[in-house]
Amino acid sequence: MGKRIISLSLAVFLTVMLLAGCANKGTSTTSDTGAGSKTETKTETKTEVTSSADQTNAADNAGLTVSWWGNQTRNERTQQVLDLYTQNNPGVTFDGQFAEWADYWNKLSTASAGHTLPDVVQMDYKYLEQYVSNNLLVDLIPYIDNGTLDVTGIDENILNSGKVNGGLYAIPIGVNAPALMYNKTLLDQNGITVKDNLSLDEFMALCKEIYEKTGYKTGAAYGDGDIFIEYTMRSLGSILYEKGKLGATQEQLQKFFEVYEKGISEGWMCDPSIYTERTIGTPEQMPLVYGSSPATMSWCAFSYSNALASLQNAAPEGTEIAMTTWPADDQKAANYLKPGMFFSVTVDSKNPEAAAKFISYWTNDVDANKILKGERGVPASAKVAEAIKDQMDQNQLKAVAYINNVVTPTSSVINPPAPEGSAEVSKLVDQLVEMVCYKQITAEDAAAQLFQKGNEMLAD
Amino acid sequence: MRNNKFNLIHFLNRESIAGLVFSLPFIIGFFMFLLVPMGISLYYSFCDYNILSPPVFAGLKNYIKMFQDETFYKTIGVTLYFALVSVPLRLVFALIVALILFKTTKATGLYRAAYYLPSIIGGSVAVSILWKRMFAIDGVINKLLGAMGLPSEFSWLGDTRTAIWTLIILAVWQFGSSMLIFLSSLKQIPSTLYEASTVDGAGKVKQFFHITLPLLTPTIFFNLVMQMINGFLAFTQCYIITQGKPMNSTLFYTVYMYQQSFEYSNTGYGAALAWVMLGIVGLMTLLIFGTKKFWVYEGGV
Repeated sequence: MGKRIISLSLAVFLTVMLLAGCANKGTSTTSDTGAGSKTETKTETKTEVTSSADQTNAADNAGLTVSWWGNQTRNERTQQVLDLYTQNNPGVTFDGQFAEWADYWNKLSTASAGHTLPDVVQMDYKYLEQYVSNNLLVDLIPYIDNGTLDVTGIDENILNSGKVNGGLYAIPIGVNAPALMYNKTLLDQNGITVKDNLSLDEFMALCKEIYEKTGYKTGAAYGDGDIFIEYTMRSLGSILYEKGKLGATQEQLQKFFEVYEKGISEGWMCDPSIYTERTIGTPEQMPLVYGSSPATMSWCAFSYSNALASLQNAAPEGTEIAMTTWPADDQKAANYLKPGMFFSVTVDSKNPEAAAKFISYWTNDVDANKILKGERGVPASAKVAEAIKDQMDQNQLKAVAYINNVVTPTSSVINPPAPEGSAEVSKLVDQLVEMVCYKQITAEDAAAQLFQKGNEMLAD
Repeated sequence: MRNNKFNLIHFLNRESIAGLVFSLPFIIGFFMFLLVPMGISLYYSFCDYNILSPPVFAGLKNYIKMFQDETFYKTIGVTLYFALVSVPLRLVFALIVALILFKTTKATGLYRAAYYLPSIIGGSVAVSILWKRMFAIDGVINKLLGAMGLPSEFSWLGDTRTAIWTLIILAVWQFGSSMLIFLSSLKQIPSTLYEASTVDGAGKVKQFFHITLPLLTPTIFFNLVMQMINGFLAFTQCYIITQGKPMNSTLFYTVYMYQQSFEYSNTGYGAALAWVMLGIVGLMTLLIFGTKKFWVYEGGV
């Protein structure tokens, strides 16, 4: 009998301890009074930034989570910079998290629901508006005012692209432009030259010629969502996404699908089946650099100027990749400079001060940028861009020359950030392109469907 | 005071309380990780919720939207096709292998382990990626066909007719757990039945259809129910290997749910899809239970 009571009370005791242990986790931080008190700094910085000795202290001692999307080259270089920062600031440690483009955004949205967003996130122009309107990012202007974040080197126009409703929510960390990457070695061998600013018809004629001479097909933007349709609409004078509706007419949309319809019927467009085996958006798996025979490969890829390094790395030995503009009938209207990537600080960050300081370092430190070598695009800070010029490799110099000499003279302002619902429309574009390529529907049907369903999706 | 203390001891001594205390860890887990999330998901299914901002109650909107959603019907079709083809195939396969392995020899243990292996690693991402590579245009399947002198440039994953079959074959390959269950119930069939029938002049085939199969029906039933539910909830294979391509011909219901929830930010709609799935799985299970009395033998031996 006595034994039973002892064992029972022991069990009760243990359970209570277990429960208490669980509950403790939530409250223990509040009783903590040190500089690293997590809950305290969080509430403090959410409302306003106080400039005190405590804050600087907090900025020097922090564990920061930094997340980005990217490729092998980027992952390695970014990690090196994070390590370097820790070396210079022993109090700051990093947890670097990376994913591929599509997974990255799923991960981020899930994290936002759980209020566990990383401190610093790589942000894209496309998603900026959504994240700001849902109050997930921190306005960085107070940190510029108190001197933590130095953006003096960044051109006003480029910096403004990170502004939404008067607040600065994202710091551009690289400038890019759409670029058509192509296999220069292959074309040289066959005596074909590509000129900049091709029109759509010229482009299609070129694809046909290359296919007939070499057997290499054309991998036009496929599964990449709205990037090329948006470009084509720009050249026709329309903005793809307007508030609550599509900004293009059905006839204009049809023009985009006709490229694919024509390519498939003439045989020069890559067969859609090759994409079912690849992770789309990964440079290493683009048909430009990867495939078993010319029939499953492409002479070009629709990409951005900063992708040159990773594409060149992924290309077989002895293949030179060069770049030109995406085809469009009115290149001036279509082309644009894209403040490619941003760094933002999220509201879930326990130490936004340290996060802002890190972004400042990233933007202004020459040594860090010597490691990065402009892989995310030409450094936003003109001073840094100038300082690392000697360090730049061939690929980076090409990208800079392309942006300065080809894009800048013939381009116009980038479209406003895409509204909510655009992700679904973008997926619909993928599906319709797929159906056109499988010859299930005509370009005309595709345009009609996109016009009808796309407008419905945006209206919600 | 003394009386109170006595009551407490008395209270703790009651058997039901002791049981409750010892099962508390499970009960807490059950509430925290199952019941509460389920309740929240039910609430979300009646909301406009895009993950990034807080949910807003929207009534039956998500459920009504489902009826107008072509992809919803398409994915139900694909999932039904997958489950109804792969599960019977897998069970037949499991039964055949179980019958072969039933005869005990020295190597039987090794073979059992070897055949069970795919089921252990089956649901994993690694196998899915391996599968994707095998069926690629330059994959091992085409290479083998090429070695045999057959046309070898076929895109298995890129053709609407074959893509779903790569997933079905993967599912059939993972027959291990059903096989083990079959094996153990094969062992429970008394050998006297076989001896008696041999005396009566029954051959192997007759023995199988008149003794083995009827006595296995409860096991077949159990496997059918479990595997059917698994079949409807399959996710990894589709998500890793095909992502629903080409043209949604392999888009499983669960993957569509995931896409709506996390890729298109229609999380409320995704939650509604999940609840409809629960209904469908429940209905299918009921249906199988309804047929039970027609073919499952429940008498003694």
